[in-house]
Amino acid sequence: MVDFLSNYSIQKWLESCPQGYLQDTVYGHGPDQVEPQELLANDDYREQQIRTTVQLIAGERCALAASSGLVNAAPDQASKTFLATQTLDEGRHVEIFTRRLFDLGVKPDDLESTIKTYINPHLGKFAEVLLEKIDKKDFVAGVVGQNIVLEGMAFSVFEMLHAGAEASNPKFARTLSGTIADERRHVGFGENRIGELIRRYPDKKPEVQRMQRDMTKHMLATFHEAFSHNGAGAGRTSAAQNGASGPTYQGLNMAEASNEEMEGALSATVLKEFKTRLGRIGLEYQSPA
Amino acid sequence: MTDPLEKPTPGPRPRETFELEETGFNEVPKRFRRFYRRWRGPGDKLGPNEALCPVCKVVIRSTKTLRAGDRVYCMPCMSRLELVEEDGMLVAKVIY
Repeated sequence: MVDFLSNYSIQKWLESCPQGYLQDTVYGHGPDQVEPQELLANDDYREQQIRTTVQLIAGERCALAASSGLVNAAPDQASKTFLATQTLDEGRHVEIFTRRLFDLGVKPDDLESTIKTYINPHLGKFAEVLLEKIDKKDFVAGVVGQNIVLEGMAFSVFEMLHAGAEASNPKFARTLSGTIADERRHVGFGENRIGELIRRYPDKKPEVQRMQRDMTKHMLATFHEAFSHNGAGAGRTSAAQNGASGPTYQGLNMAEASNEEMEGALSATVLKEFKTRLGRIGLEYQSPA
Repeated sequence: MTDPLEKPTPGPRPRETFELEETGFNEVPKRFRRFYRRWRGPGDKLGPNEALCPVCKVVIRSTKTLRAGDRVYCMPCMSRLELVEEDGMLVAKVIY
């Protein structure tokens, strides 16, 4: 029996999302909102934003494959219903970030080649570890990998990007705030469902912890590559270009912090969240070192 | 003069009642929105009728003062929580 899902229904999802925070949006943002002219006119800044958006699309494609695969692996109807709504959430995320690439000037015919050019190779390895569990219909490992590790990482990355975009790019910030709202449900499902299952199947712990360690290794490598590649950094703001005082993330001024400082702040935030979340559900965080 | 032994024994203070207004939180169906608000980060001071969901970082609001032992529900992430007192502060723990 999945008690925490007893009140969840597709009706409630409809009232919360399409009729709630997504009401009157177009591809996740206000109908009149556009990318800032300053961004579109600056080739380096635009390329940096294309690179960042490609990573978001790659992550969301992985989440779409994982959540749809988990529908058939779920042992109960309530989890299948939840994962069906999560599948639509993830499909929407793929669509809105793909749309953003077009808004940044990528032609639809060049979509796949642009993704291939800019995708971070470590992100592909991160996805492989998760999708291997999904292929085996391993529900417990799949939910930990998808709804705790992947979604936990996404939650922190989106919050950092949101902090960077809030003042300089309201369109992108609005798109991100809708995805952050979706992530709340996804991490909630992960924690509550696994919190109960791991108590019932404690023998699954070592295998799940190994997967978390492998995914964490690839995640940290992804962050390192992203920040070293990205000039002004993956979560930076246009304030970095015009010298204005920028927004802050974890106490760092995003317009002035070095790439190493930003990478350190994001990694520390995500790892702290992992440790706390895993500890709450009875799993021990495994360091990849 | 009243005999001190006849005075009522001091029990827990009665719970205050709070009027909940809309906060702009729109991540749950309309009828439940006033029970939640967005958390504004570590400097955000919680009211005596509020608790922070540790899972999704949304502030849960009650019409009454909250106390240790109370159970609350976080609809945005579907977590059921119990309030416990730690170091003089109310902390929400997830019930699995």
